[in-house]
Amino acid sequence: MTSLIVIAGKAAPLVLARPCEGLRFAVGGALRRDFALYDCFDQPLRRSGRVLLRTGRDLILLSDDVAPISQKVDPGRGSVPAIASGAVCDALTGLPPLRALMVQCAGRAETLSVAVLDDMEKTCLRMQVITLSAQSGTATLVLTEPMRGYDRAHQRVVDALLDFEGASRGATGLWPLLLPGVQPYQSKPEVPITADEPAHRVAADLIRSSMSVSRQNEAGIIEDIDTEFLHDYRIGLRRIRSVLSLFRDVFPPEETDELQREFSELMAPTGRVRDLDVYLLGKPGFFALVPEALHPGLDLLFARMKTERDVAQRALARHLRSDRYTARVAALDARLTDPSGLPPGPEGDRAALPYAQALIWTRYRKVCKLARRIDADTSDDDVHRLRIHCKKLRYLMEFFGPLFPKKKFRKILRPLKGLQDILGLFNDYSVQQLELSRYLHPDDGAPVETDMAAAVGALLATLSRLQAGERTRVVASFADFDNRAVRAVFEELFHQPEEAGR
Amino acid sequence: MHVIACYSNKGGVGKTATSVNLAHAIARSGRQVLLCDLDPQGASSYYFRVKPSKRLSETRFFEDSDRFADAIRASDFDGLDILPANRSFRDFDRFLSRIRSKRSRLSKALVAGGAEYDVVVLDCPPNFSLLSENVFRAADRIVVPVPPSTLSERTFEQLVEFFKDQGLPRRKISAFFSMVEGRKSLHRDTMARMRAAYPKRFLAASIPYSADVERMGLRRAPVAEYAPRSKAAACYADLFGELAL
Repeated sequence: MTSLIVIAGKAAPLVLARPCEGLRFAVGGALRRDFALYDCFDQPLRRSGRVLLRTGRDLILLSDDVAPISQKVDPGRGSVPAIASGAVCDALTGLPPLRALMVQCAGRAETLSVAVLDDMEKTCLRMQVITLSAQSGTATLVLTEPMRGYDRAHQRVVDALLDFEGASRGATGLWPLLLPGVQPYQSKPEVPITADEPAHRVAADLIRSSMSVSRQNEAGIIEDIDTEFLHDYRIGLRRIRSVLSLFRDVFPPEETDELQREFSELMAPTGRVRDLDVYLLGKPGFFALVPEALHPGLDLLFARMKTERDVAQRALARHLRSDRYTARVAALDARLTDPSGLPPGPEGDRAALPYAQALIWTRYRKVCKLARRIDADTSDDDVHRLRIHCKKLRYLMEFFGPLFPKKKFRKILRPLKGLQDILGLFNDYSVQQLELSRYLHPDDGAPVETDMAAAVGALLATLSRLQAGERTRVVASFADFDNRAVRAVFEELFHQPEEAGR
Repeated sequence: MHVIACYSNKGGVGKTATSVNLAHAIARSGRQVLLCDLDPQGASSYYFRVKPSKRLSETRFFEDSDRFADAIRASDFDGLDILPANRSFRDFDRFLSRIRSKRSRLSKALVAGGAEYDVVVLDCPPNFSLLSENVFRAADRIVVPVPPSTLSERTFEQLVEFFKDQGLPRRKISAFFSMVEGRKSLHRDTMARMRAAYPKRFLAASIPYSADVERMGLRRAPVAEYAPRSKAAACYADLFGELAL
């Protein structure tokens, strides 16, 4: 099997100077080209032990024990070449569908083609020794290509390569050498919590962690690499706002209010782009909802949305690059990292566990109370209210998750997620109707194309029907959530008898 | 899968050179080739710098499919593998019958990179024996190099007679003239006579007597590798083309 060995630094001369006994290295040729190492932002290739490397026009996908897969690409003008078809494209599985590849590291590469010969001058294996030099680091990649019947010679060469200082097998070792200090991005890093930790410290840790997540996404939003940067940026901010509103009285009220305002203002300019991203990502779904005859109208609608989105995105990028924004988040960051920046409020010193139990229990009771009242006659507003409470319950459970046994937690999270999915759809359909009807009555009073009006009209009718359908499912889904087993777990984990009267 | 046997019942006729250069030409055309060095005096493994494996001298070798597969060596050329020389081919007839059976463990072991070999070239030992008879039955083509000499004329006659006596299909025989020296009238006359006697058995292509071919022993590589523009290399390419594999 092919082996992939990574050695620190520019190791090619060292490697070539030390062949195994009875073997000789014959260097066939050297190629000097530029290189780029690609992965998505959350580094799924790195996590799965793979390397996607372009040297010149050659794109190769490498992993240990699998023969390299390669195809030619046109490096083109963009930072990542288009890989729409080809052997590498077919083999690039397991990438998150909404994520785009980006350049993780770039520099100069020198590729040596080496034949390993025995005493009869017979080739026993071939190797490619690729030296990658970037500003952030240097590494040597050795790819062996074994030949049938010469396994022993191959094994000897691999063992000798692994004897070099800083050598390791597989692609994983490449990353710390080329990008020292860069850890794979995590959209929801777990924040450790201990049971007797004061609640205000838990809140501060959660806020800091989410703030760091949001800030890591800024560059990707500005460069408009994929939609997930903005999505994660917003989730980070939303989690902070939830901590501020759900962790009641852990900070002084005036501090909480001020931070709420700050984060709400950070969030405000991002909403429009995200809304339009969601529409554009769901485009095939919308087309499936209306008859084919009306598709030309939808094409018009989505073309308009795309233009609007790109304009809004550029405005957002300008905003994120502005001195005002930079100064504002820098000040916030400084405040969050300063130990005295977030002083404890009236409830701030309560121990995390009883504090969490009380918050979750109260929220759970509210969800049940509201949900049990829902029937065919309940107003849409009440369904929305239920959705918000479920969301808050879910956030609390996620924040305090580390304090509770994982297995039991999963048991109650699953039906909650099921209920939330249906409430989410109900809400989406309702928001979409509101939003789409705006395209029938543009703010500037411009006339609307007949095709588009017809398509939007059909879409509105379908969405309204779908919304009604989800509503009837809310009751059934709540019944799933509100069963004896789930109730027992909630009771066991979160209900404190002495708090019962509160 | 095509099985091609390079055979001659007379030694020193350029049989091994044919096996080596033909196998190389087939591999160059993009097919997966296995060259089996069955001639204990032959040197096709030597030409590819492949050492005979110790394990190969053990008896009953061809009965063990896994050991058979283990003995195969990649040559330095893409798509061309070698089964090195073996002194014991007692079970070779069994090998030949199994190579044809898709379901046998042998044919399953006989794969190159997951796929079956497109062509198997057998470099055969130069005598009539039970082995040769089995080779004649198993092979799709029997490629026979014939130097244009009186002695060769007689041995070729014997071969054709042998086919007749054993009821073997003579159309499998693809003979060609090798070590041809066009300036010798003896060569020209013999060739004309034999082509007239066996009009369907001889290919149009012939291989000249050439220093380039002789140098194979020194260079230990197929002619097309070290003398790609030589007459000999062109003639082997013609031979391969005419076999229309």
